[in-house]
Formats: sequence, C-alpha cells, structure tokens
Amino acid sequence: MNAGSASTPDAVEPSPVPAAKLGIWWFLASEVMVFGGALVSFILLRLVGPGWSEDLAHNSVALGSINTLILITSSFTIVEVLSAQKRGDEKKFRSFMGITIVLGLLFLVIKGVEYSAHFSEGLFPDKGLFWAFYFGLTGLHALHVLAGIVANASLLVVVSRPGGFARYSHRAEMNGLYWHFVDVVWIFLFPLLYLG
Amino acid sequence: MIRWQLAYPETEIPLFGRPIGPDEYNAFVTMHGTIMVFFVAMPLLVAAMGNFLIPLMIGARDMAFPRLNMMSVWVLAVASLVLLASFFVEAGPAAAGWTGYPPLSARIEYTGVEYGLDLWILALALEFASFLMGGINFLVTPINLRTRGMSLFRLPLIVWMIMGASILFLLSVGPLIAGAVFLLLDRNLGTSFFLAEGGGDPLLWQHLFWFFGHPEVYVILLPAAGAMMEIISTFSRKTIFGYKSIIYAVMIAGVLSFLVWAHHQFISGLDPRLAMPFSITTILISVPFAFIIFSMLATMWGGSIWLTTPMWFAVGGLSVFIFGGVTGIFNGSAPVDIYIHDTYFVVAHFHSTLFSTVFLGGFAALYYWYPKMFGRMMNEFWGKVHFWGTYIFFLLVFVPMHLLGVGGMMRRIADPSKYEFVKELLPMNEFITVAAIGLLLIQAPFVFNFLGSMFVGKKASENPWDATTLEWTTPSPPPHGNWPGAIPAVHRPPYEYAVPGVSEEWLPQSRPEGAAS
Amino acid sequence: MAAGEAHGPSNVIIWVYLVVLAILSVFVSSVFPAPADTIAVFALAIAKAVLVLLYFMHLRVEKIFIHSLFFIPLLLVVVLYVGLMPDIMRSMY
Repeated sequence: MNAGSASTPDAVEPSPVPAAKLGIWWFLASEVMVFGGALVSFILLRLVGPGWSEDLAHNSVALGSINTLILITSSFTIVEVLSAQKRGDEKKFRSFMGITIVLGLLFLVIKGVEYSAHFSEGLFPDKGLFWAFYFGLTGLHALHVLAGIVANASLLVVVSRPGGFARYSHRAEMNGLYWHFVDVVWIFLFPLLYLG
Repeated sequence: MIRWQLAYPETEIPLFGRPIGPDEYNAFVTMHGTIMVFFVAMPLLVAAMGNFLIPLMIGARDMAFPRLNMMSVWVLAVASLVLLASFFVEAGPAAAGWTGYPPLSARIEYTGVEYGLDLWILALALEFASFLMGGINFLVTPINLRTRGMSLFRLPLIVWMIMGASILFLLSVGPLIAGAVFLLLDRNLGTSFFLAEGGGDPLLWQHLFWFFGHPEVYVILLPAAGAMMEIISTFSRKTIFGYKSIIYAVMIAGVLSFLVWAHHQFISGLDPRLAMPFSITTILISVPFAFIIFSMLATMWGGSIWLTTPMWFAVGGLSVFIFGGVTGIFNGSAPVDIYIHDTYFVVAHFHSTLFSTVFLGGFAALYYWYPKMFGRMMNEFWGKVHFWGTYIFFLLVFVPMHLLGVGGMMRRIADPSKYEFVKELLPMNEFITVAAIGLLLIQAPFVFNFLGSMFVGKKASENPWDATTLEWTTPSPPPHGNWPGAIPAVHRPPYEYAVPGVSEEWLPQSRPEGAAS
Repeated sequence: MAAGEAHGPSNVIIWVYLVVLAILSVFVSSVFPAPADTIAVFALAIAKAVLVLLYFMHLRVEKIFIHSLFFIPLLLVVVLYVGLMPDIMRSMY
C-alpha cells in the first residue's frame, strides 16, 4: 500500500451493512440451501416411504432432548458473549465463550455416544434409507458444529492475547450468527429424526 | 480425441497411440464437460474477471476479504489437482457423464470406475467451496467498497453481471452439495439415497443437480454477456441501450432460472404434470435474454463502430449466441425435446450458447483488458486472424452438428458405426472432426500473441480504448493498491459516449459535473 | 443487562422460552395421537427457530436487506419442495 492511501482512508459510498456481517449472511443464505435441499429430500422420501417408526424407535429421545437443550443453551451463552463484547467486559466475554465451546464439545460427545450405540446394534448407514439419512444429516450437522467450535476456539485464543480484545472481539457477532444457524438446523433435525 | 473417435471409429488416434475403448470414451466425455464448465469457464469468466475488474471498476483498493480470496484461489488449485489426479488412479477418471446421474454413478460396479469418481466428486466439492468464498467476496465488495459517487446504478454492467452470477451460484449450489454428500455415501458406505432398490430415488439426484445446473449456465453466461456489453458500448462510442432495463431483465432471468431446472429431464420419467409448467418457464426465460441481446444490437445501431479485435469477438459471440438461443426454443418445448433430447442437437445447442459466451466473450474480454493487465497492447493483426479462424471453424463444427442431432445421432456414444441409422451420418462426423482440429490449431496465433505481447507489445497508455469506466483512470498495469494517489470520485453514469452538447467525445466517470459542459 | 438489550425481553427469558418449548415438544410427541403430534411438534420447532432468528440473530432489528438474504433462500427451498413433489410422490399411487 502506498503512502497516499495509508494516511487518509479512502472515501466510500455508505453501505447499509458492515462487510463482515454481510459476508456471513451471504454464507448463511447458501447454507440454508444446503440443509434445505437435504431436508426436502428427506421429508419427501419419508412421506412416500413405508414409514420408519421401527427405525425411529432405536433413537434415544432422551439423549436427543439433552442435546437439544445443550445447543439451545449454547446459543444463549454465545449471545451473552456478544453483549459482553458490547459492554467491553473482557472477562465475561472469555468465560461465556469458554462455556459455549464446552457445550459444543459436549454435544459432539453425546452424538458420539449415540453413534456407537447404533453401531453396536449393527445399525450402519447402509441399513436402509432412514439410517442413510440419519447418518448423512446428523453427520453433516456435526461437521458444522465442529467447524463452529474451531471458529469459537480460535476467536477465544486471539482475543486472549494482549491487545487482542480491542482488535478481534467484534468478530463474536459473526461466530454467533453462524452458531445460531447451526442451532436452528438442529431444532428441525431433532423432531424429524427423533420424534417424527 | 472425442471427435476423432466419432469420425473414425476404432482407429488409432494420433498422439495417443491406440484407439480408445468405450469406457475411456465415457471418461473423456465426462471430464471434458467437467473441466470446461467448472474449471475453465467459471474460473476464467467469474473468478478472474471478478477479482481483477471489480475493485478497479468500483474504485476500491482490493476486495472486501483479501484473505478469503487467497484461500479460494488455493482451494481451486487443489481442486484442479484432485481432478487431474483422477486421470491416473486405477480404473481411470469419472465416466458417468458430467451430470453424474445415478444409478450409473452410485455404485462402483456400474461404470467400473473406482476412485476416479470419488475424486471427481471431491474435486467438485472443493471447487464449490472455492467459489462460495469467491462469490461472497464478489457480492460484498461492490456493495460495501464503492468509491464516492459510485451509486449502484452507476456501476458498470459487468459488475452487475458478476454480482448476479454470484447470487445465482450461492443460492443454487446448496442442494447439489447435499446431493454430492449423499452420492459419496452411496458409493462408499453402501447407502441408497439414489438407488430405487433401497427405497431411494434416482430422479432425486437429477433434480438436485439441475436445480443447480441451470442457474449455473447463467453463472457462466452473465459475466461474459457483461464483458460483451462493456466492449460493445465502448467500441460503438454510444451509451448502452436501456441500462436499467438490462439490470431488471437480469433479475427476472435470475428468478426464472430457479424455475426451469426440470427441462433437462423431460425424458427422464418426469411427471407429465411437471413438463408443462417447466416448458412455459423455459420459453419465458428467453424473453429477458432476448431483451439483453436487443439492447446490445440497439447499442451498436447508429454507433460509430470501431472494429478492434475485442469488438470483433464481442459481435461474433453475440451472433453465435443468438443462433444458440433460437435453437434453445426448440429444446424448450417438451414435445420437440422428447424427439431431440440426448441427440447431437442438444450438444450443438449448448455448445453454441456456451462457446459463444465462454470462448468468444472470454477472448473479447482478454483482448480488451489485456493492456490494463500487462501494460502492453496485443497485436491487432494476429488478433483478427485468430478471430476469423475461430469463428469460421466454430460454425463449421457446430452447424452440421445440429443436423446430426435431427438425424437422430445420440449423445455420449462411443462408436457411432454400431448403429445402422447413424452410420450414414459418418461423413458428416468426419467433416466435423476435421473442422474441430482446425479450431484447435487456429488458437496457436492467440497463444503466441498473448505470450509475445507481454514482452514486445506496444506500451499501453492509461486508456488505450478511450473508455469511460473507472479502471481506465489508473496506469496500466495498475500499481499495488490500484491507484497511485487518491481514488477518483465518480460523478456520472458509465458509458457517456458522444453525449449531445458536449465537446469531448467521451466522458470518464471520474470527470466532475462542471468540467464537462 | 446492557443498554443494547434494553428494548425487548432479555436473553435469559428467550432461553427459558426455548427450553420450555423443547420440553413441550418431547411431551407432545409422546402424548398426542398420530397425525396431531407431528403437526404440533413442527409448529413448536418453527416457533423455536423464529425465536432464535428474531432475538439471538437480531433479525428483529435488522434491515430489510438481511431479511431478504434469509427469506429468499427459504422460498427457494419451498420451490424445490414443490418441484420435487410430483416426481417422488408418484410412487404413492
């Protein structure tokens, strides 16, 4: 960058939304289509299918409900991260972000327990269409949870560095939006795959 | 090589050393489609033009998320490597057609292709990820980083087109990503999302694919059309005809493009109740495009046309596109389509629309912006030789191909001499093959011109074409940060050529209001 | 709570709503008869999603532009559903 531009910021046309937020929303828009396409396929095949109540019975509603509560709670804690950021409360920011990460990991652990229970019963993705969708959808979702945990953890690391809070803490809003989206996906997956 | 096989079945192919078998033929057709659409057309037209032109045209130092941008380039590089690698794994590359329809693609046994197809899916997935990142950049940058005075309706049309393409891509690719995940599971974990015997539905993949596939055509087409508009306006020395209407036409086409996908499936056992609405939307979508074409023609009408190489390519591309568009109407109506579907008529149709935009439009853009990229002009004489050679050989290849299609020749068959009624078309196939080889050879002057002009071309001034848009107000090639001093503010719409009552022939967007008149 | 959340209910209250709705949906699915429970469960799921979107993702105070970024894809999902329906449902009759 040359001297002329570095000293004076370039004048730009006013924009309704900050760039990062606009970017994350565009990203979420395409994510809506990913999960939308998958869920539409599932719902349609389910409507014509023979009915999968037998397969459904293998899923533990209790574990699924616990996971639902975990994700809802983590959505709440990450909103608290954002309000701590707005207040400039560095300590709260870090502790709530820590809780969010732990809750995300807990979600994955419970998911793993469920998976191993299925595997020990001999239920693999090739045991019929329901299990194909079950593992496909929850697997895809779990990958998103994992990505969210990585994003949250790396934000926590950079914010904890000296001077990091001032520079990076505004990113909490983007992490939050993504995390809430993952939560919303689960809100629909849970009734479809456990209760339906 | 594909063409050679069609013309001289079961003979040795020069440079390849042996005849290709049906399996390999399938693989070549698949890879040709994939490489051309996803790894030539999209990177060249969307990514390259977007990254270079958007900041220059809107008056920004760089894209909104430069790091995301770098990442998308590297992911694309990895994707290309994965795709190339699939040529060398055991049992060869993907061979299920570029659309990857199951059941052919869902089980290893059906095509005999093992890891090749997995790698194909993987390469596509990486490529989508790359364009997802790029697309977000192409949308956020023009929305947030426009220089002072550059209102949305003062953006050059190509920026609008790239934004439109990015929106279409972001919104259409999702279901296909989901579908690709399912397909990978089908292949590797024995699930049966797309296999009827397991309760799945092979039509599902087709729907998911074409829900993306048709908008994808416009993802490629719009930026090329945008480049053609810039060039036609500049070299006609006239303002573009109906600037706002073009933008609205593109929006309408974008909306409609989400409603036409099933026209690719008229013979796939589609429910007849679906065929009718999709026929109607398909024919409707030609209306906005007809409007765009007429805008370009009206822009040229009465203009003082300056016949440079980019202009030749733009006009040539436009003419072929009109031709391809008209044949599209035949495909659009379900009854006719049932006859010609999967014949060479369809192949000829999409080649003439895509070739005209991707190659002719792409070449036009390259010749036009080359001075800005490298600071030197390309040679005009060889450019024109390149254009005429390409244009004539192109017509020689694809006009007879329509006839082949009407004559009943099927797509994707490895040995045409095996079918009686196709046999008599063999001479025509030979002719097409010769013409195609000519088409390939005529690219040689371009390659030499492109590389040679970097070193010996005439030095380019800031604005060799006397154009008005913002990228021509900075030195060629642009320095780091795009403008050496402050970024110019914008005071007027693009394309102010030969404005009545003004002494100058053209008014750059950065010319202040008072100074002109 | 900070000034930012002064208007509208606080995050804790939204969280309580969400938990109640989640428990309710599990309860409903085990008590209600066959077709009614599906409808009720999905109504509850939509209610939960709307709460998260409006309050946690701030759609309530966002501009129309962001709204369209969310609802246009949603509309397209519906289009996809309608377009797919006749083909896949064919096997029903």
